[in-house]
Amino acid sequence: MEGILFWFCGALLFLGGLMMVVQRSAVVSAVWLVFAFVCAAGIFAVLEAPFVAILQILVYAGAIMVLFLFVIMMLQGPVLEGEGKRIPLGLWPLIALPPAAVVVLVVGYLRQPQKTGFAGPVPEGFGSVSHVAGLLLGKYLLAFELISIVLLVAIIGALAIGLGERKLPWR
Amino acid sequence: MEITLTHYLVLAGLVFLTGMVGFIVRRNALVMMMCIELMLCAVNIVFAAFGRLHAAGGAHVFVLMNFAVAAAEAAIGLAILVEIYRRSRTVNVDDLKALME
Repeated sequence: MEGILFWFCGALLFLGGLMMVVQRSAVVSAVWLVFAFVCAAGIFAVLEAPFVAILQILVYAGAIMVLFLFVIMMLQGPVLEGEGKRIPLGLWPLIALPPAAVVVLVVGYLRQPQKTGFAGPVPEGFGSVSHVAGLLLGKYLLAFELISIVLLVAIIGALAIGLGERKLPWR
Repeated sequence: MEITLTHYLVLAGLVFLTGMVGFIVRRNALVMMMCIELMLCAVNIVFAAFGRLHAAGGAHVFVLMNFAVAAAEAAIGLAILVEIYRRSRTVNVDDLKALME
């Protein structure tokens, strides 16, 4: 089961990355990257990191890629310029099917009671939400607080850049 | 075939390489940033693989840190890109030569 999931997700992850690089249109590139990220979530699930796998889909394939697509749509003119052909409508289900299969396989894998993997069995509840949360708010509390400062600075920085020089409150 | 740590590392290396080649080859700044995201994703796989090897949950914490860094990078980078586009009406890096001259 581990082998099937690894080869399936790994091959599709590589394919998604390759297609992202090869595609001429930025929008199609972004869609292929979402594809690759969903498959990467499958790899995380094989590695006994279910919480990380879910966050990979929610944060990466969801939030970050929506931001990218939003900016691509906003700058539509120059980015889509010279774009010759679109993906035909019939091909879209074909692109959507593998990530769906990945999700089904991952759920099936995570529900298995006995998983040994490549490095022997892991402790009960390894990589679960409570396990990672216990580490985040315990041993790695400092890193957690620092990363929140990084995010705060990023928000303020993005706002400052977006507002332009003259509209900043301290000008 | 038995899956070992090497498989995961080779996969991560391949994905990282894809992102790197894309970063060098593509001229659209938006797609270049997507390539950076792909490279970060490859690094996350290495983190998770070694965390699995040692059954260490700390690796998951650092993957989450990487998520936050990637989100911050995307937010700042895209804000800069939008500003560049506002000024020069292009996101093609070959046309952005203000620093070269």
